Amino acid sequence: MKLLLTSLTLAMLVFTGCSQKNPDVDMTSKDVKSKDTQMNADKKANDLSGMDANNATNNSMNQNNMNTEDNANKISQMIASLENSTNKIYFDFDKYNIREDMESEVKSNARLLNSMNARDFSIKIEGNSDEWGTDEYNYALGLKRAKSVKESLASYGVSKDRVMIVSFGESNPTCTDSNKACWAENRRAEFKLLP
Amino acid sequence: MIKKLILVFVLVSSVFAVDATVEIVKKMDKLPKIALQDASINSVDQDFRKKFFKILVGDLRVSSHFNVVDEYMTSSYIGTLEQNFLSELKVDLILRFSVDFEPDGTIIAQVKLLNAKNGQVDSEKIYKISKKNRYPFLAHKIVVELNSKIGAPSIKWMEQFVIFSKYTQSKKSEIVISDYTLSFQKTMVKGGLNIFPKWANKSQNAFYYTSYNGLKPTLYKVSVRDGKRKKIISSSGMLVCSDVSSDGSKLLLTMAPNDQADIYQYDINTKELEKITSYSGIDVNGGFIDNDKRVVFVSDRLGYPNVFAQTIGSKSVEQMVYHGRNNNSVSAFDNYIVYSSREKSSEFGSKTFNLYLISTKTDYIRQLTATGKNLYPRFADDSETIMFIKYYNNESALGIIRLNANKSYHFPLKVGKIQSIDW
Repeated sequence: MKLLLTSLTLAMLVFTGCSQKNPDVDMTSKDVKSKDTQMNADKKANDLSGMDANNATNNSMNQNNMNTEDNANKISQMIASLENSTNKIYFDFDKYNIREDMESEVKSNARLLNSMNARDFSIKIEGNSDEWGTDEYNYALGLKRAKSVKESLASYGVSKDRVMIVSFGESNPTCTDSNKACWAENRRAEFKLLP
Repeated sequence: MIKKLILVFVLVSSVFAVDATVEIVKKMDKLPKIALQDASINSVDQDFRKKFFKILVGDLRVSSHFNVVDEYMTSSYIGTLEQNFLSELKVDLILRFSVDFEPDGTIIAQVKLLNAKNGQVDSEKIYKISKKNRYPFLAHKIVVELNSKIGAPSIKWMEQFVIFSKYTQSKKSEIVISDYTLSFQKTMVKGGLNIFPKWANKSQNAFYYTSYNGLKPTLYKVSVRDGKRKKIISSSGMLVCSDVSSDGSKLLLTMAPNDQADIYQYDINTKELEKITSYSGIDVNGGFIDNDKRVVFVSDRLGYPNVFAQTIGSKSVEQMVYHGRNNNSVSAFDNYIVYSSREKSSEFGSKTFNLYLISTKTDYIRQLTATGKNLYPRFADDSETIMFIKYYNNESALGIIRLNANKSYHFPLKVGKIQSIDW
């Protein structure tokens, strides 16, 4: 027991003493070392600063990327919401003039497309036809329908410069039943928004 | 025997050469009667032999130059006495074939034509084609040559490729090359919306089509051999290549660069674009006529779709059809015009769209179809044969009309809906 205590005391003294003992250092070397240390530190600092800077940039870029992605998502959601809120415009068989009962739908679309949420977007009007008749004629018919809607929107204050038109003929049916209701549903113009 | 048949055909042809708009009323019963025999060795797949036989029978029937015995018969290649005469059937000709495969997959067909009146071999030939799935073209070639041998009017169109686009789902369509029976099919373009394919030349080694997969509808030219494609022109709104001049240098395009669909002529060498029509409504489906100097087309300038013609470079337009309430698709050959027409003022019905033939030299109109929805007529490289799209019972099919025989045939497309065709 006495021996153990003595050994422990001696060990404590040694370690304490070691920690308090100053190393015998060559000053020159120390200077050099300190220079090196300084250079290294600079280098390291530079590296660090570089890394930090890179990290900062990356961080800020990551932050920017995250912001951009957030924005893109927000825009997509806004576009989807606006598109869902637009009214499809329907047409009679073989015709491309805006029907009387569709005027209010076009007007309502114009109001929406000129609203604060929508006015910075470009507009694409897609013209479609039912399956009757040859497709080449139907592509032209779809285009005339889209053009009629573009003209009508312009009369309600939507600038033509914002609007492009395209026709999908009979390639884009919303239903495929062989009845008048389905054919009437396919004879339409639809709206898409582009950022 | 063969010379007698040739004489019969010369006489028959001279009767029909007068005017194809005159409907044939008298049934011809002087057509040579032909039977087919499969002399292939037993080790060749039975299914394949029967499919080959079926194409041969179909071709002979569609030619309308033969009275065909439908029955599937086998024989030895040399033939017994009975097999070389088939006296019970009272046939004039026997087409005997033996198909086999070479080690590399090439199909080889030995074909004999026998005079059934004297049991003698009239001619014998060997045909080959490199891939098994191309067997329909091998069969078509055999029949085209047999037809030529007996002096009948050419049916060379049977050997031509057909190119069509088919809708597979909403805003998706593929471009397919096939034979006229749709027994051979090879998809050339898929992915997205690819429409209105058109052969670029008579040798059918390239085609044009419109892609909707970019920012604007774009016309591409594709080489059949290597599938490489080259952009030709784009247009906002819509873009269709409706016709190609006989030397392949000029295209008739329907395009809408300023939101207005008109017909343009495009020179693929000089890249010059010339506007042909200027009406503010719909002008589509331009087709070259009169040595590519005039254009026949569909326009709604009278308030409904109808057929008109205009000389390139001139503004004056001539109405070509004075019948029907909706004539929305047209094809022309020599002085014949075939168009798809809705006669009734009622919009829908099972017999609503039919094909009609007129001549620019007479006042006759001849109705060519009676049932289903019949659209997109296209003359073959002769005035006797018209290809078209038929929709019937929710199915789409490739239709063939043989004018002189007053007969129509349909080949259903099992998957998808035919959008447009060319050959």
